[in-house]
Amino acid sequence: MKKTTPNILILGGGVAGMAAAQTFSDQDVAVHLVERESALGGHAAMWACMATDTCQNCGACLSIEMADQVQKQENVISHLDTIVETINKAKQGYKVILENKETFNVEKIIMATGFSLFNPVQINSLHYDEYKNVITTAELNTILQKETLSGYFNGKPDPKIAFIQCVGSRNREQGKDFCSQVCCKISMRHANKLTHLFPESDITLFYMDLQIIGKEVRPLFKTLSKNIALVQGVPAEILEDTETNMLTIVAEDKETQSRVSKAFDLIVLSVGMQPSPTLETTAGILGLKPNSWGFFNTDQAVLAEDVIIAGCANGPKDILSSKQDGRIAAAKVIEDLGLNTNNKLNIAVFGQGTQADQAAEIISSKGYSTYLFGPGTSLSKDTPVTFLNESNIISISGTAGNFSLYYESGNEKKYLTCAAIIAAFEPEQSLNRLENISNEFLSLDAFSQMIEKKPDTCPDNSVILLDYFGPEFKSFARLALKTSVKAKALGKNISIIMNKTLVHGALGQRLYDTARQQGVDFFRFETREDLKFEDSGNGFLIKLRETTLPSIELSLNCDCLVLPPSLTPAEGFKDAAALLRLPLDREGFLQSANTRHRLTRSSRKGIFFAGTCHDEIDKNDLDNEINDILSALSTESFELPDVDTGVEINQGMCAQCLTCIRVCPHSAIVMNKKNRPQIVANACFSCHLCVSNCPAYAIESKELTNDQIAQKVEKDKMVILACERSAALAAGSLTLPDHITLIPIPCACRISSDVILKALLNGASKVIISGCHEENCRSMEGSNIADASVRQVLSIPGMDASKVAWEPIAANETKKFERIISKARG
Amino acid sequence: MDTATINKTSTLYKMLNQFELGNNISECLTCGACNSRCTWFNGEGGPLPRQIIRMAALGLDEQLVNSNMLWDCLLCNRCTQGCPMGISMDKVVRKARSLAIADDTIPKDIKIGIKNRIELGDVNALTTEEFVETVEWVSEEFVDEVDDPKAEIPHDIKGTKLLYLPNPRELGINLLHLTAMAKLFYATKETWTLSAHHTDVTNWGYFVGKDDIAKKMVLMVVEPAEALGVETLVLSECGHGYHALKYLMEDIIGRKPKFEVVSMPELIVRYAKKGVLKFDPGVHPYKIAYHDPCNIARKSGGYDAPRELLSMVCEGVVELIPNREDGVCCGGGGGILQDSTSKNKRMITGKPKADQMTATGLPNLATACLSCHRQLSELSNHYKLGIKVDTVASLASESLIL
Repeated sequence: MKKTTPNILILGGGVAGMAAAQTFSDQDVAVHLVERESALGGHAAMWACMATDTCQNCGACLSIEMADQVQKQENVISHLDTIVETINKAKQGYKVILENKETFNVEKIIMATGFSLFNPVQINSLHYDEYKNVITTAELNTILQKETLSGYFNGKPDPKIAFIQCVGSRNREQGKDFCSQVCCKISMRHANKLTHLFPESDITLFYMDLQIIGKEVRPLFKTLSKNIALVQGVPAEILEDTETNMLTIVAEDKETQSRVSKAFDLIVLSVGMQPSPTLETTAGILGLKPNSWGFFNTDQAVLAEDVIIAGCANGPKDILSSKQDGRIAAAKVIEDLGLNTNNKLNIAVFGQGTQADQAAEIISSKGYSTYLFGPGTSLSKDTPVTFLNESNIISISGTAGNFSLYYESGNEKKYLTCAAIIAAFEPEQSLNRLENISNEFLSLDAFSQMIEKKPDTCPDNSVILLDYFGPEFKSFARLALKTSVKAKALGKNISIIMNKTLVHGALGQRLYDTARQQGVDFFRFETREDLKFEDSGNGFLIKLRETTLPSIELSLNCDCLVLPPSLTPAEGFKDAAALLRLPLDREGFLQSANTRHRLTRSSRKGIFFAGTCHDEIDKNDLDNEINDILSALSTESFELPDVDTGVEINQGMCAQCLTCIRVCPHSAIVMNKKNRPQIVANACFSCHLCVSNCPAYAIESKELTNDQIAQKVEKDKMVILACERSAALAAGSLTLPDHITLIPIPCACRISSDVILKALLNGASKVIISGCHEENCRSMEGSNIADASVRQVLSIPGMDASKVAWEPIAANETKKFERIISKARG
Repeated sequence: MDTATINKTSTLYKMLNQFELGNNISECLTCGACNSRCTWFNGEGGPLPRQIIRMAALGLDEQLVNSNMLWDCLLCNRCTQGCPMGISMDKVVRKARSLAIADDTIPKDIKIGIKNRIELGDVNALTTEEFVETVEWVSEEFVDEVDDPKAEIPHDIKGTKLLYLPNPRELGINLLHLTAMAKLFYATKETWTLSAHHTDVTNWGYFVGKDDIAKKMVLMVVEPAEALGVETLVLSECGHGYHALKYLMEDIIGRKPKFEVVSMPELIVRYAKKGVLKFDPGVHPYKIAYHDPCNIARKSGGYDAPRELLSMVCEGVVELIPNREDGVCCGGGGGILQDSTSKNKRMITGKPKADQMTATGLPNLATACLSCHRQLSELSNHYKLGIKVDTVASLASESLIL
């Protein structure tokens, strides 16, 4: 059921292009997708899996699944292995001629041409082209995918490995005065993976300002700071010791205050992002002009009316943000072309602060009936939002498109039916204090307000202290930079004491450069012990052991000491999570770090998160989050369509024990009016967990009953029950040997001990269950459930332990899949 | 632990922040790249380059002046090559050396040399009479050498095409080098001269960072040359002389000179390409390693002429690793060689160079600076490398076919 003939062109089949294509396809809008390479997936599809014991939330494996799904979409006409030859402005839209002379007309173009990686050959002193063991992050990915890393260590169990950050980033002399944003995370995940693969390895990560940003990165940093050496200062030269063949780096030794030579077996250059090599040509054809970096992420770039830029063509982005960007771009096109036929829905927004207000305001401006469970303090009275302040939500039932909110308002209890819920609660903001100091501090917020509103009261000497109460949140770091520049413009002295500058974001580095040019002083400290504070008159005396000058104690006087607040999970987050039936993350913020649902979604359709209640965001990120939610609201179906979920409840056998309702990770099973459990097709993700968990065997899978699975088992053959989103995709391109039967299953949680035993009884020589890594399961617990089922079977007395195994394999771990089946054969 | 108070009104801070974007030390990202590229490598003692920049950026003038780093720095600029903000260590250190509070730190020999140069026109205090006497005596020898009665080493002749500015060593302990250069001038068949008011290619004002002295010394070269009305000033092989008189000339005196400036190797290559000068590479039947003088190569971009010339007069050039913009200082830069008390330290600063030389496995090495030449020769002796060190121009002279 196509709504249109394809008159949209997507340039680039990477994450952003594929996300856009999927969004169109979900709306039955047909599109052309042109990709230069012979397969979809872009850079992300070449990235290695970063999982250790659990998923590390990088999202790379998603690109393989996306490619698989996009290829199957009838609405997406893929033109692989080809490029656009010319695009001419037609009367309406554009006439597109491909390299293979295929010609078609389109109205809108999404340019998702991606990025390329900085080539370190340009920096002679790194000797990247000469020394075999100097590699880039991209090469490390390939090596990890191929599982050939040990070949670089000459059999050493304890290799010395260095990561060097900011190679080709944050360098004004190279015209790259921007932070590539992803490299710190990539290297941190790489280092973590290497500590896992080589527990005796000795890893040093040399960074300029470690960008510890995001809910998944903060816990990773905590782990890493115990396991590897994190060293501030990026070496700019690598030499080879001709005697030992070790790679050497000269670095500052803090203890002896001298330069020492350090030897490494492998050095990984964390290379930055730059525009795709074909961008200039493509931009030329389309009449666009990128900015001096070659991206479109500043006002300097010139855009064209019917062309929308998405993904890394817009500037450096991680996988999840690229995916988000692609969806937003597609939603915009759908809106521009008037293809959005969704009914205007009721939307509930939860939250007491400005982030919820902003979400409510934007959602309502698009015509949705918006109900704000919060005071809406920052909204004007005539905003078309229904304010349900001082209303206490008692319970939420129902599913996407038909949530029923039961709430108390005054003494009355009421119901509200809504299609979707946006949780935009505020985290706890607590003012920080320093011990043994009696003079008044100023909060960062108050200081920034003072500079804005009462500049004449700004003190002459101010100090902003960042990172002292834990890694600073990006928004506060950014506010500190902006405020310091303004204070400087007023002719005041201002210093920022920090552990690292968060320059993340399109203009972060330029803002930091401006601040230094204007004379804002920056001081770096390593640990809290490097700083001492005293009252001094009405002001403060700060004694500082600066990272760059550790043998001198610097004294710094100021009239005003500015402290940012700490952000912690609010007390109500636990209750909110219980109400939404969704888990918290490791730090206690809302939303799990599972990349299947991030950035804004959840395992429950129609429940979204926005703002700092779930992740570290600045204003720009919040805009993107709200646009992403809007894209879901406008392009996804919230009605109750007649889709086949593949599972049904045999009401005759149902014992009404409610197990299914309790276990469903998507809360897609509800009690119907007849007090019977009912699967809501629209909210069901078809994971089959209810099937494997129903004690009465009343929930049946149409094509994957226990018997049907067991029937596929052949005698004396090894059976791999493989999740179709991960292990089955990893196996995809392999020709499996005859003694192996691969049975795709919708999720590892489909497997119960029954299925395993049936397979063994039918003569399977071995049963392997394989699915996503823990924390990467779309249905949240699939890997844990499969693992538990395997252990349950193994606990049967007399069971041969070699007969059953659980193996987590991500979609991008083909080599691991191969290794596991070859090991199992032996 | 030392204590210090940040002083954004310090003399050094104010001086350095007059520089334009890119030379403004406040822009330092504290990325630490410079720390990994100091020419001392992991040798004992020596500077931590980032600390120099940070002390300057925080107005800690006294701490910087009192640290050894001020004179341990060899001004080779290797550390800030590739600085993401384009900061130049050479500028920062020389400004710090120029501070009044740093006067006492200036090595005695450099002080005397500067005094001699300003007062007598020559660092070695060579007087005009001594100059004339020396040149005329060398000239007589030169006639025998080229076996041409009309040959001479001319001085103070107006309107010649070329004017040669020698290194003081060529009028002192290394007279043979002057003869060798004379031979090359003779072979160009151009008019050329020396000048009695114009005997010294060096500029120690540059070492001490004092702009007024550096300028005076440059003008002591420019004005006599302009008075003679020459077309081209030919610099003897001298690193910092080349940097000051060619690369920085206009910055220092605020105008273009009325003549062109080339180095001796550049001049020879030019005449060789015209076919005027011809060489017999068979005189040096071996491959030779080439050392880039920092002031000529990294700091002034003069990479090619010496290499081109060596490939004409030997069997070929072998590169030291690393080289060119990443070249390692000989260990004698920044005024350290001019300080007669520095020998022990110079053998530490030169250790990485000595290692590089050894790694070539060759017994011959050339360079295009007489200071580097002296330091490299001393390294060869000290570390028993058995490597013969020559200047590029002297090898050319040996290979010259007359």
